[in-house]
Amino acid sequence: MKKIYINEEYCIGCRLCEIYCQVKHSKSKKIIKAFREEELDTISRILVEEIGHNSFAIQCRHCIDAPCVDACISGAMSKNENTGVVNCNEDKCVGCWSCIMVCPYGVIKRDISAKKVASKCDMCIDEKIPVCVKNCPNEALKFSDTDDGSGVEIK
Amino acid sequence: MKNAVAHNTNLDYAIIGNSAAGVAAAESIRKIDKKSKISIFTDEKYFNYSKPLITYFLSGKLDLEKINFKDSGFYEKNDIDLRLGTRVTSIDPSGQSLITDKNEKVKFRKLLIAGGGKPMIPEIKVVNRTGHVETLKNVMDKTGGIFTLTTLDDAIGLKNYIEENNIKSATILGGGLIGLKAAEAFLELRIKLNIIEFSGQILSASFDNTAAEIVTSRVEETGSSILTNTTIDEIYTDDSGRIFEYKLKTGRMLSCNLLVVAVGVSPDVSILEGCAGEIMTDNGIVVDQFMKTTSDNIYAAGDIAKSIDMLTGKMRNIAIWPLAVRQGSIAGRNMAGSQVSYNGGFFMNSVEILGIPVISMGLSNAGENETEEIKTYKIYNPQKKIYRRIITRDNKVIGAIFAGAIDRAGIYTGLISNEIDISDIKDNITKEDFGIIQLPEGYRKHLVVGDGIEV
Repeated sequence: MKKIYINEEYCIGCRLCEIYCQVKHSKSKKIIKAFREEELDTISRILVEEIGHNSFAIQCRHCIDAPCVDACISGAMSKNENTGVVNCNEDKCVGCWSCIMVCPYGVIKRDISAKKVASKCDMCIDEKIPVCVKNCPNEALKFSDTDDGSGVEIK
Repeated sequence: MKNAVAHNTNLDYAIIGNSAAGVAAAESIRKIDKKSKISIFTDEKYFNYSKPLITYFLSGKLDLEKINFKDSGFYEKNDIDLRLGTRVTSIDPSGQSLITDKNEKVKFRKLLIAGGGKPMIPEIKVVNRTGHVETLKNVMDKTGGIFTLTTLDDAIGLKNYIEENNIKSATILGGGLIGLKAAEAFLELRIKLNIIEFSGQILSASFDNTAAEIVTSRVEETGSSILTNTTIDEIYTDDSGRIFEYKLKTGRMLSCNLLVVAVGVSPDVSILEGCAGEIMTDNGIVVDQFMKTTSDNIYAAGDIAKSIDMLTGKMRNIAIWPLAVRQGSIAGRNMAGSQVSYNGGFFMNSVEILGIPVISMGLSNAGENETEEIKTYKIYNPQKKIYRRIITRDNKVIGAIFAGAIDRAGIYTGLISNEIDISDIKDNITKEDFGIIQLPEGYRKHLVVGDGIEV
C-alpha cells in the first residue's frame, strides 16, 4: 500500500501540483485547453498553502476512519477496502457539504460548475504515480509505502 | 405480548432500525464476526434509504431509486438478514428476547436499539366545521392536508398530495432545520410559503440572528413569508376533514390547504414502555461510553440515544447523521467483543438553503454575552452575504457559524475536537483564507506531516 506524504520543508510554492491536478481532472486533459477553455469547469483537488517562505501542498489524506465517509448522507463517499482510496461518487453526491463540515484538513472542495458536488483527491488511481507527486520538482510530495494500511495499493 | 407466539427465532445480533446507526452497526459487527447471524428489524418497507435525502426526493432532485445510502447488494454481501415491515413491539431485557408484530419471539445474544426519533406534534386544537373539536395529536392521521416530514412515506404522501391537489401555496410550522429543508423543496416546486416560527428568528437552535437574517432575506426574495414570534392556535377543517384555514396566536386568520408540521423530533422510546426499569431513558436511551444501555447485552445508538456531549460534559441527545454512524459503528464493534470508547460528540449541521450554504457546529449560540472565558470573533460582509462567527472558551474553539461561504469549515471541527489552543492565531481565526498554514505549529505538523514521520 502506498500513500502521498507531504514534505513541507521542500515545497517551494510553485503550484505545479495544482496545475497538473487540474489538467488531469479536466475534460480534455490538455494543459492549454484546460486553462483556456475549461478553467471554470475544473478545479484542482490539491491545495497549496503559502505564507511568506512557508508553503506546502495538501490533498485528501485518505484517512483510515475517514470522517467524511461517516458524515456522507447519500452514500457517495466511500473508502475502498482494497486500495485504501477515499472516493466521492459524484453521481451519488447531492452537495450537502457534510464532508466539508467534518474534514479537519479542509481538502474537500465545492465543485459548483455543473451539478453541485464535493470534489476531492482520487489518488489518480489510473496512474502509476499521482500527477501531483510526479510533477513536483523538489520532492515535496512523495508517494511511498505505508504499513498502517491506510495507503493505496498500486498494480 | 399475550398473543400466542407463532414462531421462535434465535439470533446472535438483533438490530432495531435500518438507518444510519443500525446499518453502521451491522457493517462493523460483520467486519469482526464473519459467521454469526445478524438481523435488522424495521417497520418501514424500503430496503434502505437516507432520511436526510427525503426532501431531495420531494423536490424532484432525486428519484426514489436514488435515495439509498447503501447499494442493493449491501445486505447480501454482508450476510445481513433484513426484516422489512417488521415492527418490534416489546423487549424483554433479562430474557434477552423481543417480540415482533408478526407474533415472532426472537432470542438474541446482543441487541442494538437504533430506532431513531419521531416527530413532535404540538398542542393545537383542530376545529371541524361540524363544531367537533379535537387535539392535533389525536387526529393527525385523519386530517387531510397535514403532514410531518421525517420518513420516506411522509415524503411520498406529501408529494402525491401536492400533485393531486395542484398545491400552489403551503405553510410550514417550524423554522428549524427540518422546516427549512422542507421549505427549500417547496420553493423549488414553486410553492409559495408561510413559515411560522415560535421564536424571534428561524434556525434559532443552532444559528445566530445574523446568519438567520441572511437566510430569511433569501427566502423572502422568493415571495414567501416568515412569521416569527407566533404559532398556530387553531386549525379549521372542512366537511371531509381537510385543513382549509388556521388561526395564529396573534389572532390572524390564514387560509391553507397544506400544512407541514416540523417543530422538532424526539427519541422514539415507546418500544421500552414495558421495560422502563431495566433500560433507563431520560429523553433518550441513556448509554455509557461503550454505547451500552443500563441493561447488559443491550446497546443503543443514533437519534434515540442520549450520550455525552464533549463540549458540555453533559448527557445529551444529539440527533445528527455523522454521530449516528459513529455511535452505531462503535456499538457494533463492542457488541462483537471489542472495547471501543465513544469520546463524545457535538452538534453540527450543514445544509444549503436556496443556494446559500450554511454550517453550524458546537455551542454555536454560546457567547451572545461575552465573558472572561467566552469570546466571539466574527466577520460579516453584507454585500457578498458572507458571515463567519467563531466562539471560543478559554482560548479553545467551542462553536462556529458559517453562512454564504463554508469552504474548509472542517478545519474548525478539527480545532473543536482536538481542543486546540488558539491564543496565538486569534487574529486570523475568522479570515476567509484561514487554512492549515495558520494553525499552531504542533497541530499543523500533526496534520501535514502526520504522526511518526520525520520532517
